[in-house]
Amino acid sequence: MTLQASSRHGLSSALRSLEHRLQSLRVNGSITTVKSRRCLSTEPTSSSTPESALVRAAPEIDLDALSRRIPKVPPGGLKVQYARPVPLSPSYFARTARFNDKYLALEKLLKTYENLPIIPYSETERTVWKSLNDFRRNVGEPVKASEYVKCLEIIKRLHQIHPKLKPQAVKDALSDFVRSVQAFQSNLTAAPIDKFGRAIGNGRRKASTARAFLVEGNGEVLINGKTLAEYFGRVHDRESAVWALHATGRLDKYNVWATVEGGGTTGQAEALTLAISKALMAHEPALKPALRRAGCVTRDPRRVERKKHGRVKARKGPTWVKR
Amino acid sequence: MSAPNSLRCLARPSTSNAVSASLSLSFSGLRIGAAAPFSTTSARDSSIAKKSVNREPAAPYRAGKKLKIGKFKKNKVVERGKAPLPGERKAYRKKIVLTNDNALPVKWVQEMGPNHLQDVNNVGKVVSLPDAVQDQLRISEAFQPSQSWKMFRKPSTLIREETVQMVSKMEKAVGNKKTARLVLAGDKLTGKSLLLLQAQAHAYLNGWIVIHVPDAQELTTACTEYAPIPDTNPVQYMQQNYVLKLLQSIKKANEKVLSKIFTVSSHPELPQNIPVNSPLLALINAAKEAEGAWSVFHALWQELTAQNANRPPILFTLDGLAHIMRISDYRSPAFELIHSHDLSFVRTFVEALQGKTNFPNGGAVIAATSRSNAPRAPSMELAISQRIAEQEKNPEVPKSDPYFKGYDERVESSLKTVEVLKVKGVSRPEARSVMEYWAASGLLRATVDEHQVTEKWVLSGGGVLGEMERAALLTMRI
Repeated sequence: MTLQASSRHGLSSALRSLEHRLQSLRVNGSITTVKSRRCLSTEPTSSSTPESALVRAAPEIDLDALSRRIPKVPPGGLKVQYARPVPLSPSYFARTARFNDKYLALEKLLKTYENLPIIPYSETERTVWKSLNDFRRNVGEPVKASEYVKCLEIIKRLHQIHPKLKPQAVKDALSDFVRSVQAFQSNLTAAPIDKFGRAIGNGRRKASTARAFLVEGNGEVLINGKTLAEYFGRVHDRESAVWALHATGRLDKYNVWATVEGGGTTGQAEALTLAISKALMAHEPALKPALRRAGCVTRDPRRVERKKHGRVKARKGPTWVKR
Repeated sequence: MSAPNSLRCLARPSTSNAVSASLSLSFSGLRIGAAAPFSTTSARDSSIAKKSVNREPAAPYRAGKKLKIGKFKKNKVVERGKAPLPGERKAYRKKIVLTNDNALPVKWVQEMGPNHLQDVNNVGKVVSLPDAVQDQLRISEAFQPSQSWKMFRKPSTLIREETVQMVSKMEKAVGNKKTARLVLAGDKLTGKSLLLLQAQAHAYLNGWIVIHVPDAQELTTACTEYAPIPDTNPVQYMQQNYVLKLLQSIKKANEKVLSKIFTVSSHPELPQNIPVNSPLLALINAAKEAEGAWSVFHALWQELTAQNANRPPILFTLDGLAHIMRISDYRSPAFELIHSHDLSFVRTFVEALQGKTNFPNGGAVIAATSRSNAPRAPSMELAISQRIAEQEKNPEVPKSDPYFKGYDERVESSLKTVEVLKVKGVSRPEARSVMEYWAASGLLRATVDEHQVTEKWVLSGGGVLGEMERAALLTMRI
C-alpha cells in the first residue's frame, strides 16, 4: 500500500482514511493497550535506538488467555476461536510508516497550536533542519523529497510560533528535525590576547602553515627571523603576507612575528595572510567584515589536483599520435 | 682580461683595434654622448655597423640552425638581423645612463655642496650631484648599472643618517691628520655602494684625492694579467693592466688636484725620468703602457704617502670587500693558489685599511661589502660581527667556530682594528622625503601620505632603500 497524495491535503486525508480502515479491523482495543514487546508497532518503543526500531515477529497468540480476558462470559462458555495481531500504527502497512506517523503528529500539533502568535521566519532562531538524506537515514525509510518538503513546511510554521509561548510538545517535535551540527550556532571563540599583548593566529594555504603573533607596534615584520624583504623575494608575496593589515589600514599599528613552514613562497605568503588576519581579529573583532571583504577570513581549500591515469598530468591529455 | 676603460663607454666599440681605439674613445665618448647618452640611435645607426661589416666580411649573420619554411621551398633563410659586434652586448649591459628626459626636473632639490653631507640638519634631504662631480664619479666608476639613475632627470642622493655619520668620521679623522678606516656592512640593497659614492662625492667636492676600486672581483678572480714582482720575499704579484686602467681613471678624475701637487723624490725605476718637484700628473702620465704601470703606481703611492709633504687628504675606497678577503683564483708558478693579500695592489689597500699606511694629511679608507656578488669569507664575516659587538659594547662577542677549518688568520688580522658602519634601512622621515622626490620626478603616481610611506616602508623590510624602489617604482601595477 503506497500513499499517492499529490498535495499536502491529499496526503493527510489519505492517511486519515487509512487510519479509519485499520481501526475497524481491530478485534479488541485491549490487545493494543498491552504494553508488551509486541513489536508489530511502528512506534519504536525506546526511541531512536536502531535495535528497537527493528521489527520483530509477534509472539504466539494464546487463545485461552484471550478468552479469560473477555468479560461477561461464563467460564467454559464462549471461547475465542480467532484472533490476529493488529499493528499499533495505522500506517503500519504504508511504505514510510514512521514518517507518516511523524507527519500526522506534526499536523495535529499544528492544528492544536494554530492560533498561537507567530513571528516572521527571518526573526526566528536560525536553525538548520535535517537534510533529506539525513532524515532518510534517521527513520530508515525511503522518504520522498516532495513529501519531506511538505513536512518541513509544517515544521517551519511551527518554528515560527513565538518562542516565549512555544509549548514543550512543539519543541520536542521539532527537535527530531534539527540537524545535529548547527553551523549558525558555532560561535568562534576569539583568540585571547596574552599578558604581553600578543594575539596568535594560525593560517593555512596549499601545503603551508603559518603562525603569526601580533602585537601593537609600528609595522615591523619578522618571518622565521628574517625581515619581510629578506624572506620573500617577490614584492607580490610581501604584499599578500601583510594584506590583512594593509586592507584595514593597520600596517603601522602592529608588529608581526611569524613562523611559516611547508609549501612554496605563494602558499607561505597566503598562509600568513590568514594567520595575521585571525590574530588581527583577536585584537579588533569589529574588523571581521572588512577582512572578509578583503578575502582574509576564509581558508582557500584548493590543493594540487591529483594526477589521473591515462593523463599526463591532472588534466593534460597525452600527445596525439596517428598510429 | 678586462678591456681597459671601454666597457662603460657609451660609444659603440669598433671591432678592429679595440684596445687602442677605446683609450681615445672612452673619455671623449663621454662628452659626445652627453647630448643624448640614453638614446638608442647609435645602436640603430646603420653607418657604423656597415663600416665594421665592410672591414670584416666574415659572418654577417648569426651562425646556427636555419629555419626552413614550407616543405619544398629550399634554402629560404629567415633573416634575423645582424648579430651584435663583439663586446657590444657587454657595453650595453654596463652602460651607465644618468638622465631621463621624460622624468620631471625637481626644482626644490639643491645641488650638493662641500659641507652638505656632514651637517646633521641635512638628514633626510635629497641633493643632486653637481655636473663636475658627476663626471668624476663616472670616471671612477662609482655609478653602477644596477642602480636606477636612468629613471631620473638628474642624479640625486638622499642624505641619510649613515651618510652624515660616515662623512663626519672622515672629516674628524682628517682634522686630526689621521685615517678613518671603515667597513660598510649591511643587508642586501641597503645602499652600501651608494654610501661609497657619497663619500667620493664629498671627497671630490672638498679637493681630496680619490682612488676607487669599483669592483674588487676584477682583482682576484684571475681575469686580469699578473706577474711576480722581482726581488720580493714572499713573492708578491702585480696586475699591470688593471693598474694602468686605474691610473688613468685616477688621472682623469683627480686632474685638478694632481696638477697642483708635486713630487718630493726622484723615481729612478720609472721608465721615464720624472724630476723632483714635477706635478704628480706628470708622474701618472709616465704610465703609457701596461708594462711599467705597476712601478708608476708604486711611485705615486710613495708620493701620496710621503710624510711631511703637502698632500691633500686621500680617500681610498673599494667595493666588494669579500673578494679580497679570500684566497684568489691566481696560481703561483708552483701551481699553488695565491692569497689575495699577496697581490701587491690588494695588499696596498689592505695595509691602508689595517692602519699600517699613514697619509700625511689624513684621509679615509672605506670598504663596502656586497651581498649580491660575494664569495664566502667566513673570517671577514666573523671579524665584522665581532667589531659590531665591540662597538655596541655587547658583552657577547661572537667567537670562531672551533670545528670549522675555513678561517683565515691574515684576514682576521687585517680587520682587527677597523670600524664597521652598519647600514640599515632608512627611517620613516627619510623614506618620506625620498618618496616625495620620486613623486616630484613623476615616477611615483600615488599621493605621498603617511599610509603610502608606511606601506612601502613595511614592504621593503623596514626601509631598505633598494627594496622600496622595487616596491614603488619597479613593480608594474596593472
